[in-house]
Amino acid sequence: MPTAEVAIDLKEHPIMLTLQDSISGNGFHARITMSGRTLMRQEDGKWWMYGVRPAGIAASGGNIEDAFLRFRSKYKEILFDIAQESRTFEDFASQVDRFFNESDADNEDERLWESALASIRTGACQPPTPFANLPRRAPEAYPSFIKIERVDAEAKDVRLMPSENVSDSYAYSFPKAA
Amino acid sequence: MSASVPYADVLRMLEGCAKGHDIRRTTHGRRVEHGGKVYLDLPKYDDIEIGHIRKMIRHLGIEKDCARRFNCY
Repeated sequence: MPTAEVAIDLKEHPIMLTLQDSISGNGFHARITMSGRTLMRQEDGKWWMYGVRPAGIAASGGNIEDAFLRFRSKYKEILFDIAQESRTFEDFASQVDRFFNESDADNEDERLWESALASIRTGACQPPTPFANLPRRAPEAYPSFIKIERVDAEAKDVRLMPSENVSDSYAYSFPKAA
Repeated sequence: MSASVPYADVLRMLEGCAKGHDIRRTTHGRRVEHGGKVYLDLPKYDDIEIGHIRKMIRHLGIEKDCARRFNCY
């Protein structure tokens, strides 16, 4: 089958993203860095970005960039809400960790993410047009994780250096280079 | 145009399909807990895009056939 036809048939798109936030809480300040997974597809005439890790989040937009920006904004607002309801840094860290790692009950989006990646690898196809300009990353090289650090005056063993800064980004999942 | 569902219908679906659930407002949205799972991302608006509701249903493990009876999936 020609490569272009494989690309056109792909309905689910496996996306990887990296975000970093600085969150004030009740008596603490935290830095949260995460490498996550989302699934993008078109539904009802819009692009939807559905969380895989973290799973419990969704956002839509007229194009993929708009969907990502809304997803990014909602992610930060969830961190704000968790901070609002956490009495201590430890409580905050526990709840953020749960939010990030709690999978969907049916695991449907995670299965579709893995299936989409397998389809890309089988077909050796290029990302379809809306994703053509996104960077490409191999999931094996960017495993999902979340790091929650206390960075206020009571912080211990935390690195406060410019090299710790992480830009927001999202990328199309792609096979690992041979 | 993305389809939306009135919040009142979402509440009826939760009553009918997610017995024992807990739902409450947060500063930026709504928090829904059911079956040991917590969904923190239900929008706070009166009309909610169905994609958000579909995701909540998948996350909380609500029966999709039940949700369809309330036009929520």
